[in-house]
Amino acid sequence: MDAGLIVYALYLAAIYGLMAIGISLLWSSVGMVNMAHGATFAIAGYAAYFAAIWGQPLARDLLGTTGWDIPALAVFIGLVALLAGALFGIVIYLVAFLPIHDKENFAVRSLIITLALNLATVQMLLWAFGPQQKALPRVFGTGRFTALGMSIRIDQVVTIVATTLLLGSVLAWLRRSRKGLEIRAVMQNAEGAALCGISTRKTALPIMMLTGALAGLAAVLLSQNVFVSPTAGVTPLIKGLTIALLGGLGSVPGAVAGAVLIGFIEAATGAIPFLGQRYVLFVQFTFIVCVLLIRPRGLGGLLDETRE
Amino acid sequence: MAPQQPEKRFFEVGRRPHEITLKPDGGDAWRRGRVPLTKRHWLAWRGISNPKSLRRERRLLDKRPLWWTIGLGGLLVVTPFLSDQAINIAAIFCIFSAINVIWTLIIGTAGIFSLATMAVVGMAGYAAAAANVYLGVPWPLMMPVGALVGLVLGGFLALPSTRLDGLYYALLTLGVAEICRVFVSQIKLLAPTNGSINQVGSFIPADWLLQRPGLLLGFFAAFALLLAALLVFRLINSERLGLLLQAAREDEAFSEANGIDYRRARLWVFILSSAALGAIGAFYVMFYRSISLAVFSLDQLLLLFAMIVIGGLGRSEGAVLGTAIVVLIDKGMLDLGPLRIILVTAVMIVVALTSHHGLTGVRMQFRNFRNRKKSESRAARTEKGGEVMPEEATEITDKQQVYYRLFDKRIRDQLKTQVTPELIAEHRAKPLGQHSDALDRVLNYFRRGEMPDKYAILRVGPYAASTYKVLAFSGRPGHPPRVVDDKLYATMDEAYHAVFLLRVNDLLAS
Amino acid sequence: MSDKLLSITGLSAGYGPLRVLHEIDFSVAAGERLAIVGLNGHGKTTLFRAIMHLVGWQRGSVVFDGIEIGGTRSLGEGRRTPGIVRLGVAMTPQGDAIFPGLTVKQHLDCGAYTKASWRDRALRRDHIYHIFPQLKALEQAYVGKLSGGERRMVSVGRALMADARLYLIDEPSLGLAPKISQRVVDALIDIGLDGKAMVIAEQNVALLSGKVDRMIGMHAGHLRGDVGHVDLA
Repeated sequence: MDAGLIVYALYLAAIYGLMAIGISLLWSSVGMVNMAHGATFAIAGYAAYFAAIWGQPLARDLLGTTGWDIPALAVFIGLVALLAGALFGIVIYLVAFLPIHDKENFAVRSLIITLALNLATVQMLLWAFGPQQKALPRVFGTGRFTALGMSIRIDQVVTIVATTLLLGSVLAWLRRSRKGLEIRAVMQNAEGAALCGISTRKTALPIMMLTGALAGLAAVLLSQNVFVSPTAGVTPLIKGLTIALLGGLGSVPGAVAGAVLIGFIEAATGAIPFLGQRYVLFVQFTFIVCVLLIRPRGLGGLLDETRE
Repeated sequence: MAPQQPEKRFFEVGRRPHEITLKPDGGDAWRRGRVPLTKRHWLAWRGISNPKSLRRERRLLDKRPLWWTIGLGGLLVVTPFLSDQAINIAAIFCIFSAINVIWTLIIGTAGIFSLATMAVVGMAGYAAAAANVYLGVPWPLMMPVGALVGLVLGGFLALPSTRLDGLYYALLTLGVAEICRVFVSQIKLLAPTNGSINQVGSFIPADWLLQRPGLLLGFFAAFALLLAALLVFRLINSERLGLLLQAAREDEAFSEANGIDYRRARLWVFILSSAALGAIGAFYVMFYRSISLAVFSLDQLLLLFAMIVIGGLGRSEGAVLGTAIVVLIDKGMLDLGPLRIILVTAVMIVVALTSHHGLTGVRMQFRNFRNRKKSESRAARTEKGGEVMPEEATEITDKQQVYYRLFDKRIRDQLKTQVTPELIAEHRAKPLGQHSDALDRVLNYFRRGEMPDKYAILRVGPYAASTYKVLAFSGRPGHPPRVVDDKLYATMDEAYHAVFLLRVNDLLAS
Repeated sequence: MSDKLLSITGLSAGYGPLRVLHEIDFSVAAGERLAIVGLNGHGKTTLFRAIMHLVGWQRGSVVFDGIEIGGTRSLGEGRRTPGIVRLGVAMTPQGDAIFPGLTVKQHLDCGAYTKASWRDRALRRDHIYHIFPQLKALEQAYVGKLSGGERRMVSVGRALMADARLYLIDEPSLGLAPKISQRVVDALIDIGLDGKAMVIAEQNVALLSGKVDRMIGMHAGHLRGDVGHVDLA
């Protein structure tokens, strides 16, 4: 197994981890399964595409000579994607959470509404932009470099590093900051939190914006390999859901572990000669089925803080 | 008489909506037909006596058979006169409804959140098609073959359902669907032409395939399939298995403590439903005379899921209603293009935002809301221990009871104003003997009370040097009085006064 | 009326068809420590929950410091509760409403909901540790694993973190051993009340008699001047 494959596996793990952690976090804090994650992914992809179209000549004019134009464009596209994801997260908050969060049958109803939002958004994107795929400029690094005698793709390394940093800071923020404390309080005892002046609605909004932003970042990072299209979000959504469930819904360490495992499986399956890319989903699902049969609640088990 | 009465507010009384009743001649004998081979009646008629008009009336308790007959009968009668496209849509509606009704059995009755419906349908369809095309099995036997394959698949899928619950099981079934799809697409022997099997034998003759006679035949067969699916739903849901599972849906631990093996019941429902889905899969193949990998597509599955959630999970009416709405929009308005899906999702969002349990649950939701508001406003404007509520009064046949309670409350309110410290001092000074008017009224009210409200005095010790204790009557035959407290009173007068104080306390607290 | 911190007029509240409070009228002035005594199940908790908007329905007016916070909310989801808390009302509910997975320190931090109190939360925590010395040693322990008395102290401490002006303490001695409940009640009595007010709902009259400014009885949803209707000889 060469280092290129390991890096590729980690790269996939990073992207799927972004989606899975978003779903797991939302479930444990709000009690909602967000099926509209795929739509967030697609919208952020399109936003990034248009940002790239608009920003590329600008960057070239302003910074072309200094050689900083590509990184600046990368940061710009990333920020636009984060913003687009956060904005769509607000839309999901307004439609799927706010009207029904304290009413009966909230889990099923929010599932249905987010599913409907997903379908509607994909259809509208199809209608507006057509099914053709669009390519983002390769701003996260092209080419390879050699380390330890093996050749590794730069953009994958950049993705892994960026994701790890971002996820690490998000989790640290959740553990240490005031807002993170409020979110954890609401998770464990909603009425007690209300008596502390913490409102469920006000804590759900940053969480949804955050998970939307994570999906947006995943869209931009993955679009180096996969093209931007209306249905680009379907596979990442399914992978994100399955990894979140594999890791135990609500358990962030479990989601990370699941993402790493699935990433390695995908990389390995692609590399094995007689299997190839077509069997990736098949092998992943077989693995997930086996794990779930052995450990019905997923890898992470139940921490003290998670919701059933 | 009374001074100026305040403006009276009249509140609407009564709970029951207006019912249409039959009023046959009371002397006629009542003939009721039964479903052959069973003891079940066709319709649930109840005979009641109208207390106001003193006539014997008949009321239909459950009107749902009527709605079903009108709806499905209307469909059956109207469709042959519509265009070819409409007949096709109606046939598709029947097939999808059949799938959804059985799916409702799995999700609603058994409570197993399974997404493997189309996988079972597809696999059974492929098996039946392969049996027909490669093994020469004649087409009448395709449905049993499909049912058998569905049974086997159901057996495999049922095993994890006891270990996993909810979303985890949904994920597992999603994975299984994907595995099936890849499995079928990779077996070249099964489906040489890009995953599909064509020219399968069917009840529709080959030359009739896309012609009007073929379409009509297909529609009538699909309608029969829908009726069969509804029959299966009724047999499982309303008979033993369904009733056991209803208990488990309410409270699992309690039903298990009562000896209901709900896990086994769930497995059975799941396996039987999978067999039914397999049969539907075989029918699907016969209807189209071919089968392709599109049957496993996730979009189709999500559309079916949208149908059952719009209609409401758990009821067969919901499955059929939801299917009707979505199929009408999706297939009936083809000229809208991709806007159709957006319309379907808009309907999904509106239904999920406004109704708790889908469209068929709206009536119950509204009734619950109205009852809650009524009971709250009633609770807010009346006091505890007051007269009979108007709604209760319509149920009590002896109206004298109603008036007695009202009268009792008025007396109590009046007596409460009479109880003063002077009154109590008067009674302490002279428990027996001539009393003032107010004390007389109070004591008469106490004497008129019922046994459970009264107290007794127990003599403790020998007659010469006895003390007294107060007891409270239980009011029930065979149950002795209970001791109120440990106080011992030296004289009977003190004991009488203690009883008086207890009664006064009870009066003021009522 | 304007000098009263909390004045309640004609408050009725209940859950669904059950009416628990019947036309309650009372008021609390600033600097006053009031005790509401009565048996369990007679409406003391419902009264507090009605002030905080956590009951099924309610009618009547609740005026806190000149601001009307009453309402008729049905279903009692507590939508308005954080708003009421931020106005300056702190309640320690029956059963403590703790967060099982958070430490004592984090609990106390949760109580500091205003900007000012968050900024000097370390100081305020020290103040709480001064009142309840046992909590200092348990600072990093998960509250889910603490005993009843310690949880009660955490709950009371949490209510003291922000500068609330009205404290509603529900059954401070419920489920506690006599020595510990004495300690909790003593701590409550020691809290200074300039410009603030405290209402304690308690079943055990003996714990509070002589230590509070006023005592009102509650029986079957009605407030009575004294416990019981007539002196039972």
